[in-house]
Amino acid sequence: MAKETLTETIAVAEAASIEPQAKQTTSGRLFMWVADNGIFVFTALLVLFAVIFVDGFASLVNITDVFHRAAPIGIVAVGMTFVVISGNYLDLSVVAQVATSAVIFIAVSNVYGIPLAMLAALVAAVLYGLANGIAVGFFKANAVIVTLSTTYIGLGLLRYFSGGSIFFGPQDGPIREFGLGKLGPVPYSAVVLLIMTILLSILLTRTNFGFLVRSFGVNEKATRLSGTNTGLVIIGAFIVTAIAAMIAGFVLAAFSNTAVSAMSDGYDFRALAAIIVGGTSVFGGKGSVFRTLLGVIFVSVLTNVLVLSQISFGYQQVALGALIVLAVSVDAVARKVSKR
Amino acid sequence: MTTMAAEPIIEARNIVKRFGGALAVDGVSVSVRPGEIHAVVGENGAGKSTLMRVLAGIIEQDSGDVVVGGNVLASSAKASIEAGISLVHQELSLVPEMTVAENILLGSAPTAVGFTKQKEMKAIAADALKEIGVSVDLDERISRLSVALRQFVEIARAVARKPKVLILDEPTATLTPAETDYLLEMLQRLAQGGMAIVYISHRIPEVFRICHSVSILRDGQLVHAGSIADTTPDKVVDMMVGRELKADLQTHRTSSPGDVVLKASGIRAPGVNGIDLEVRAGEIVGLGGLVGAGRTELVRAIIGADDRQSGTVTLTVNGKTRALTSYQSSVRAGVGYVPEERRTDGLALGMTVFENINLPNRRELSTAGFQLPGKIMQFAQSLSEKVGLRPPEIKREAGQYSGGNQQKIVIAKWLGRRPSFMVLDEPTRGVDVGAKAEIHKLVKELADQGTAVLVVSSDLPELLELSDVIHVVRDGQIMGTLAQKDADEKAVMSLASGEKMVNA
Repeated sequence: MAKETLTETIAVAEAASIEPQAKQTTSGRLFMWVADNGIFVFTALLVLFAVIFVDGFASLVNITDVFHRAAPIGIVAVGMTFVVISGNYLDLSVVAQVATSAVIFIAVSNVYGIPLAMLAALVAAVLYGLANGIAVGFFKANAVIVTLSTTYIGLGLLRYFSGGSIFFGPQDGPIREFGLGKLGPVPYSAVVLLIMTILLSILLTRTNFGFLVRSFGVNEKATRLSGTNTGLVIIGAFIVTAIAAMIAGFVLAAFSNTAVSAMSDGYDFRALAAIIVGGTSVFGGKGSVFRTLLGVIFVSVLTNVLVLSQISFGYQQVALGALIVLAVSVDAVARKVSKR
Repeated sequence: MTTMAAEPIIEARNIVKRFGGALAVDGVSVSVRPGEIHAVVGENGAGKSTLMRVLAGIIEQDSGDVVVGGNVLASSAKASIEAGISLVHQELSLVPEMTVAENILLGSAPTAVGFTKQKEMKAIAADALKEIGVSVDLDERISRLSVALRQFVEIARAVARKPKVLILDEPTATLTPAETDYLLEMLQRLAQGGMAIVYISHRIPEVFRICHSVSILRDGQLVHAGSIADTTPDKVVDMMVGRELKADLQTHRTSSPGDVVLKASGIRAPGVNGIDLEVRAGEIVGLGGLVGAGRTELVRAIIGADDRQSGTVTLTVNGKTRALTSYQSSVRAGVGYVPEERRTDGLALGMTVFENINLPNRRELSTAGFQLPGKIMQFAQSLSEKVGLRPPEIKREAGQYSGGNQQKIVIAKWLGRRPSFMVLDEPTRGVDVGAKAEIHKLVKELADQGTAVLVVSSDLPELLELSDVIHVVRDGQIMGTLAQKDADEKAVMSLASGEKMVNA
């Protein structure tokens, strides 16, 4: 009996002394866990929800369609992850880059063949990466304003040279075959997304260049004072983004077999949504390419669920906007919590 | 002492604060009475600053109470200020582009419908400055003041709130002896007026000069609290460190410098007015002088971390002479740089120890641009052990380590490159006594292995201990050069200050 009271006393005393702090740290830890790993759980839950409750989601036709829509945005997003991790917020000019690549690809291949078209698009992509990268990396201009401006310049040039017209590809041939081809239920475009994810993930995590991008995102000064040409690192990040946008342009053009300057409207925002929802920090330094892939899946499935549920386009936009505000706020709070 | 009231004005009861897994403050209780100057001492990472930030409501404790005048305080900066607690930060937190008056009233400026009342503001600022006995133009911009004056303006800002409790975190770190004397006397006056003062310092003599009582922290725990009269400086240091230390302190190397490795001529840059400098292999050259004399600007101009207006720098290694034209060319040629601001310039705190060490060594630890993880880990591990990182866990984030350990990581980064010329700017500022001795040993070993070393230090005993030769800098020029045998604190200070002491 006495023993019981003693253990009880101790238990009560311990509960009293530990609980307030335990409570705090548990909720804090839970929040940090959700901020870090929530995307894995949420994506799984969303897919599960869609399969069970949303009519028409789990059909072959629909899944292929989701892949088709997700692929070009995903390819842009995995590339743009480099710019975000370097702490330079985002590259808005991906909108112009994708459209430029698609138009060059269709228009040039119609006349000069596919290899030359790809080469021309590559030149345009590298120029884009250089222009953005030099302004941001060497002149230290603000990335948002620079890329907003290069979007204008790019789309302006594209409209001038294309005369605003729509370009159609040939009715058959390799472009068409690639655009409509599938590997099992998976369209080639999604295979390209997967390959890009793997390659860029290796680039980010295994090479000195990727290491410097992350290091720059964590601390620019310390990276420079370790003997790094940080301007080149930033140019590299923008060129990676530009090349990914170029490939997204190929994929998009091949799928629709047309190209027009307005075809990639909203890609900037959707790619950013995928990156942020995936858990890559807009403060730089933290994140991964695979997280972005997961973010792409989440955003694409969510959009598809909304479409299938016959939610109007206006509400879809509201949902996507709200999702980003939520994800960015979680990112900011998590940064504050982990700093404490 | 005689006027001291019996009841404490501020009490911290069983404060516990964790950062992640680490206990920063582990059940510490401290109380201070009106009119008392209470010292809080301890090595870096002992939890002093964390405890003070809890008292000031800047961070929230996990458990325990802060009690002011019998009332438990809500944990917010606003509540603390309203309860009469003012904290003078370790890092200067003034706005350089605003005036003295604006800075003193920052955040508490008197307003009428949203507009600041200029006259009233100046009157309050003038009162605060008068109270601490400092005369400075109220309309002067902070950026035009000396570091010492800025420190006094910072104190005026705390005093302007008419606090009951004034907390000062290492206020003398950047002051000259004369300025320090002035500050200490000022604190004694404020205490005589009934203010309770909490005084954090590494400098034990200061503590014994002005404080009535002392709390000693080690590893987050209170190891001793009591009247200053009941203890001695030696005992305090022993309790702070928790181990005997003496051996390495104050032992000079017997150096025999080799050929000139670094040669800088006619260096001009903002704050540097034409300086020539040579450092030989195996030699430690010290740069003495007051804060703001241009020493940091000089070393940064030499290695190209900042642009030079004119002047040439060459580095001679194994008979090959190369011009240092940019910072990157310096690093490639074999220069290592431990900057003054380790938290912002020296380390990427959010990255792991091994990533920080990999940063300047990445070319050697990769093939064709691909990192070699095994090699990186092995390299980082052996360097971490070599510099005495505790614990040597290279997968931890650098930010989780204390100041002294962080500085060891910065040194490890560069040791890996076997530098032929190493620059260390304030290598032990804000570093605890134990780590300081270890860092001094590392610097000496580096020189013994033939590296040319250039050290900037405002810590005179350190400068005298490390340097084979000392150049004293004032106003961006070398005012005099002292060989080791001729150098003492007085000789350095008289050159640094130009014989006339700064009047604060």
